[in-house]
Amino acid sequence: MINTPTTTSSNEGNYYQHLYVVIEHEEGKIIPVSLEMLGEARRLMDDFNKKYSSQEKVVAVVLGNNVRKLCDELILYGADAVIYAESPELQYFRNLVHTKVISQIAKDKKCVAKFSLDYDAEKFRKPRYMFFAADNIGRHLSSTVLAELESGLASDINKLVIEDLEIRHEHKTKGQPIKYNKTLEMYRPDFSGFLWTTILCLDNRNPSIERDYHPQACSIIPGVFQPLKQDTSRSGIVVDYAPILEEKDLKLRILNRKIIKSAVDFDNRKAIISFGRGIKDSPEENIKLIEELAKELDAEIGISLPVSKKPYTVSESINSRYIIPDRVIGTSGRKVMPLLYIAAGISGAMQHVMGMKESEFVIAINPDENSPIKDECDVFIKGRIEDIIPKIIKELREQKILMEIRK
Amino acid sequence: MDKAGIMNNSLNTAVIVKLEPDFSEGNVSYNADGTLNRAETKSILGPHSAVASSAAFYAKVKYDARVSVGTMGPPIADFALQQAQAICDADELHLYSDRIFAGADTLATAEVLKTGISKMENGKKIDIVFSGHRASDGETGQTGPQTAWKLGYTFLGNVIDYDVDIERRLIRAKRLITLQGFYDIIEEVEAQLPVFITIDPSYKPFFRTILQRLAFVKYKKEAINRAQDYKRYLKIFNAQQLGVDLKFVGLPGSPTIVYKVEKIPKAKASRKAEIVDGSDSEQIRKVVTRIHEVLGGMIIK
Repeated sequence: MINTPTTTSSNEGNYYQHLYVVIEHEEGKIIPVSLEMLGEARRLMDDFNKKYSSQEKVVAVVLGNNVRKLCDELILYGADAVIYAESPELQYFRNLVHTKVISQIAKDKKCVAKFSLDYDAEKFRKPRYMFFAADNIGRHLSSTVLAELESGLASDINKLVIEDLEIRHEHKTKGQPIKYNKTLEMYRPDFSGFLWTTILCLDNRNPSIERDYHPQACSIIPGVFQPLKQDTSRSGIVVDYAPILEEKDLKLRILNRKIIKSAVDFDNRKAIISFGRGIKDSPEENIKLIEELAKELDAEIGISLPVSKKPYTVSESINSRYIIPDRVIGTSGRKVMPLLYIAAGISGAMQHVMGMKESEFVIAINPDENSPIKDECDVFIKGRIEDIIPKIIKELREQKILMEIRK
Repeated sequence: MDKAGIMNNSLNTAVIVKLEPDFSEGNVSYNADGTLNRAETKSILGPHSAVASSAAFYAKVKYDARVSVGTMGPPIADFALQQAQAICDADELHLYSDRIFAGADTLATAEVLKTGISKMENGKKIDIVFSGHRASDGETGQTGPQTAWKLGYTFLGNVIDYDVDIERRLIRAKRLITLQGFYDIIEEVEAQLPVFITIDPSYKPFFRTILQRLAFVKYKKEAINRAQDYKRYLKIFNAQQLGVDLKFVGLPGSPTIVYKVEKIPKAKASRKAEIVDGSDSEQIRKVVTRIHEVLGGMIIK
């Protein structure tokens, strides 16, 4: 037998088309990551349509109550069409009812017929691709929607490529080479920030377990992709969708919602000092040094992701104050942009850098001149935390006295 | 006190846990390039699984709940079950272990866990399932909600506090919602049992009354004793014993594959760093002067 790659049949059948982006909003405003996803979706589908001479759409999906005005905005930011489901029951996000409605929409042929005039929508089964935000809402929503749609999901993605790939896989293809066209390569950084794993969602083409897996879906890290500039010349179609809600979908009631201020305030401080695994030789003492320096500079304190996994033994008071997820800066935590960012004992894994690279002025303290943080800072102080920070504190205090005298 | 017989007065809970690399200093090992050395790193009950176990223990202390713990993993994953039992005083431990399960993605894992949960407590319905917020190695956070969906349970994510009205079969829970560029929200919700809860890492159980504190001490002691003898509580299931459809588990049941793993290429230097010798006081002085300038000449307090 000659092993010429065969192409997957589902692609030829046009059962799966378009890229659906699930939009999040709060109090009538679009969450930034939603526009970032639309921007990336637009770029991908423009290339896709050129390459495959097709006209597949970027479709935003919005659920809510009295937020129809958002739909026009989404078109200006890159959507070809917006499917809008309105109901008082959709005012606030609830996993159960939102999962039901989004899954209904993802399988709805009539919606597709309204925005994709050149395509025989009767053939439509599900979207080809689907994007969600990798935040507190989208992470769970993407999981349950894809469980309902019985397809694959990759989380926390920061790079996307569409390619025609020849795959030879023990289960997927029974070891035979098969061509998977229009495959979404989904790149996710691992927890260390040093490895990139590419996830594919592939139909099973092994005759004994044949099964379609579409949409190819992922959740996207906030702050990674650039939104498009609002373009008022853009036009698109808004499709109103009447959601079908059953009593059993409404089993969860929201009693109240309270806005709280996080104990950690990265947004209103001019300076942030973060520490990483470089504290390791004397964790307790080094954190106290950082605390002292933060006091001098009126800075907030951040940590790297590896430190949040509590690798060191420190006192309970230090532990509960600093070694908490709220302080993580990076793709698994917060994105910050202070005037001054000091990275103490942080190697500079990409996942951290994504969270601080827009800081105005960056100082790194690190004994290893080869660590990647060197390329992400303005001043690289070669040395260990325990040696350098006391010197900085001493100098700050001396200069402060001088300034007092001059006044 | 045995409350059997009054069906509606009892509460059955389950915890889904995972054996994960131990990231604590001395146990974790990194390769020279900064990646995890899995062969040299020990495995323990994941920290988020531990938090989920403590949430189930809260139900044990407060509502006299039954607790079952389940995990999918290799035979050595029974260590995670033992550690979880020491936290939550589990009445039953389930290990779902079969070579066929290896390589499963979250959807195929959820299929196994769903089937396993339906076998807990001799097939009695579990009222609340707890799981951690995410695993510290995989970090997808997908397995919990996907298991919830397959069970047909209402899913509550990022729960930081909960109480149950056993008579009315209702749960009240507080959830923490953080969104990019927005304020944080604490949302209070009420739902009919059964529910599936993922516990937020910031969860801390509080025992307010003396009776609760007494129950806490009693069950904590029992938990330690039981965990020493955990094999008595352990049931191991392979694929056949679970009765899962082989098309839906392991690699055949996984829509996704890992196509490649590569080192993240070094990004182009986004800044040109000035290198400062940390042992030179004069250079440190210049850096501090620079700090003053950057912070807008503000008087440092």
